[in-house]
Amino acid sequence: MHQLPRTVAIAFYALFVALPLGVLLWETVDGPEGFGFSAWSSILADPVDRAQLGYSLALAVSSTAVAVLLGFGFAWLTFRTDLPCAGLLGPLGIAPLAVPPILVAMGFADLVDAAGFVPCALLLGISYSPFVAVLTARGLRSVDGRTYESAWLARGRFAAERMLARLVAAEVAAGALLAFIFTISEHGVPEFLTVKGKNWHTYAEGVFANWQRRATGVTHEDIAAPIVAAVPLVAVIVVALFVALRLRAHSNLRGDPRPLPLRRLGRWRFVAFAWPLLYLAAGLGVPVVVMGLWAAGSTDLTEPMSLEVVRQSFRAAFEEAGDNMAFTVAVAVTTAFGLVAVSAPLARIAARRTQLVDYLCVVPLAVPAILLAIGFVRCFNSVSAVRVYDVTGDFYDSPALVVVAYVARFLPFGVLTLSNVVRRVPTEVEEAAELCGRGPVARALRIHGPLMLPAMWSVGCLAFVLALRELDVAVVLPAGNPAVVRKLSNIVHFGGEDMGGALALLLLASAILVPVVSVLITGKKLRSLS
Amino acid sequence: MMHDFTPFQRLCLAAFLALPCIALGSCAADGAESQGVSLYVALDEQHSKRLVQRFEKESGISVSARFDTEASKTVGLVSAIVEEARAGRPRCDVFWNNELAHTVRLAQMGLLAPYASPSAAAIPGQYKDAEHRWTGFAARARVLIVSKELIPNPDDYPRSMYDLTDPKWKGRCGIARPLTGTTLTHFTALRHVLGEEDFEEWVGGLFANEVQFLQSNGATMRAVRDGKLAFAFTDTDDFHVALSKGAPVACVFPDQIGNQPGTMLIPNAVAIVEGCPQPEHAKKLVDWVLSESTEALLAAAKSAQIPLRASVPGPAESSILGIGDFRAMRWDPVRTADALSKSAEEFAKRFGM
Repeated sequence: MHQLPRTVAIAFYALFVALPLGVLLWETVDGPEGFGFSAWSSILADPVDRAQLGYSLALAVSSTAVAVLLGFGFAWLTFRTDLPCAGLLGPLGIAPLAVPPILVAMGFADLVDAAGFVPCALLLGISYSPFVAVLTARGLRSVDGRTYESAWLARGRFAAERMLARLVAAEVAAGALLAFIFTISEHGVPEFLTVKGKNWHTYAEGVFANWQRRATGVTHEDIAAPIVAAVPLVAVIVVALFVALRLRAHSNLRGDPRPLPLRRLGRWRFVAFAWPLLYLAAGLGVPVVVMGLWAAGSTDLTEPMSLEVVRQSFRAAFEEAGDNMAFTVAVAVTTAFGLVAVSAPLARIAARRTQLVDYLCVVPLAVPAILLAIGFVRCFNSVSAVRVYDVTGDFYDSPALVVVAYVARFLPFGVLTLSNVVRRVPTEVEEAAELCGRGPVARALRIHGPLMLPAMWSVGCLAFVLALRELDVAVVLPAGNPAVVRKLSNIVHFGGEDMGGALALLLLASAILVPVVSVLITGKKLRSLS
Repeated sequence: MMHDFTPFQRLCLAAFLALPCIALGSCAADGAESQGVSLYVALDEQHSKRLVQRFEKESGISVSARFDTEASKTVGLVSAIVEEARAGRPRCDVFWNNELAHTVRLAQMGLLAPYASPSAAAIPGQYKDAEHRWTGFAARARVLIVSKELIPNPDDYPRSMYDLTDPKWKGRCGIARPLTGTTLTHFTALRHVLGEEDFEEWVGGLFANEVQFLQSNGATMRAVRDGKLAFAFTDTDDFHVALSKGAPVACVFPDQIGNQPGTMLIPNAVAIVEGCPQPEHAKKLVDWVLSESTEALLAAAKSAQIPLRASVPGPAESSILGIGDFRAMRWDPVRTADALSKSAEEFAKRFGM
């Protein structure tokens, strides 16, 4: 009985991570003329593949630089200095994470001519900077102020700052890496900007375009080549993740640290205030204001903006997309619970048995979402899968497929976060409970559960928000058709900005529901970024 | 730890834990809809959803509609139908395409079932498959959308596809990239209509004249609407969306004089998928889609589609001409569909995809 959660979690990994990716890999060698490595022999031989991969890498590096600049600056100023209103601004730093990147792109594209490489890099950097901000803040909070002061007294301020930089480097690097991984595999925003008029394409766009053209007669090599082309990319990401995990293993996250002494900004105090404002305005303010203006009818020149138009826009959003909203929230909630349920047992294996599980679980993040989703299509829409559906019902066409795809995609967040918590639980506590004769269920409920509950809650919240904003998987999987983010991009393309604005605001309101529920349940105020 | 929670907090926690059950319940409810007819619609969701709801109300048959994304328009749904056929389980009953060539292509692949709808009797034969595997209706025209701000005098409006290669408009006009949808069909048909040599010369002229190649017809419409381009090719429905929002734009049906090829007209096409789960419901839906009243609704809607039957009233907007009011380009859907994959591949390479 006590093996059941572990068995289910391992089965989940095998079925929804290893199998889809394995099928994709197999298809690169199993061509129409039988087994062969023709697709592999021409790895990156096509100049188009090379160009797309180059653009993806350049875009990811540039976006990550922007994310680090914005996110690190925000966290450092709000946690490390005597910035005015730092206590208020700090917790707000996580808010832009609730805004889907496509909304950030839509917001800026409405204001400026955001169509080239630089705007794309800036937009993606803005969208993913909360990862850097959150983890940098966590790193800064984990450093004991007494250690810093001791270093200062012994070796001077410069040495103390160097020591601080070393201590938070792992968290900053982890944040930067997350931003890098998400931007390198991003499909939605570059594709949206293509619609707005850009003439270069990322690797993820290329994979998707080839996949879609399959119907018009694209050859097996055309389909397989971009998948093979992803291998060096995935290898780079896996190595980077490996480095990040090693760094993270050495990070200073134990004990009960005293806060770091605040740096006095002096007369720069109010000038520095502009940075967090820029961070919040870019990631949250612009999208929300533009969506609000759209809902008020800013794009309709036949009548002036008014509250009446706002009312009509929201009514239209409820009437025409109420089902989509319900679908999206239902999928996001189920994803949150599913992710916790699958991650917890895997995290225990990673923490108590082998760290290999940590590395295996980051694979879904190392693979571009678009590719993972294509793997799902190939795997769960196959002839043999369809035979199974005759008995089980049509899994491929059900929202359950979207949920498992999201859980698979976000698995690294769950496993890495929870395994970190499990590692900090003394094994003596578990052994004592076992020696007392308590069964596995009692131990799970009274020992592991309470100790892991806050981390589980965080994982669930993160999964909920990420599922609300996930576009790439929803675009590829037919069952993801009703997802609000997908519908939003269509509505805007078709000139329905008024209703689209209202729908986007509803989506954002759904995303902030989780922190509100969190406050209701715990009775605690949101006091920090993470 | 549990005893730390107040009763209210426990209530909140219990309510939140119940959410997945509610969520799964709603998912199950969604699944139950599969008893109705499954419709794949490439027509813009904004335009087609209300019609689908109307059919549900009138027929009592529930419709599970699946729409395409703007970027992968048409091809996404065609791909899905092909993938489902490969797996041996078609999930789509009716495919409502907003253009013709990909539907013809599906018919050539043997993925469409014949059905001679009584509603299609009055539709001209040139828009119907001889074997009844697909039927065309309500069309869009490939028109030039013109910025009235940048070209205030109507006498200066471009009148032909060859204006895109006129140095007078260098860098100031646009067209969608011919990778999917109506633009791919347009380019593929043009190759046959103009002949290989003239077509290549025209395409070469587009590049030489620094024509802006955008991702979609919606994008070209927006570029003109926002005054970034003086004019561009788009579809009549995109033009109508801009016009209805008060944008200062005009519509030109190109190539109407002399030996010019005429304006391309691309009808919607509806078809039943071979081996579909609900063939009887599918026939009822096809009958409804092909009815004169639906064609009239499409003409009256924001999409302002042009009815193929003279008996059906056209769009209220006078700048969108009726079926007999302009010279339509004569093109062969079957030949175009034959050449579609070659065109798609060739243009994909030319445009870096």
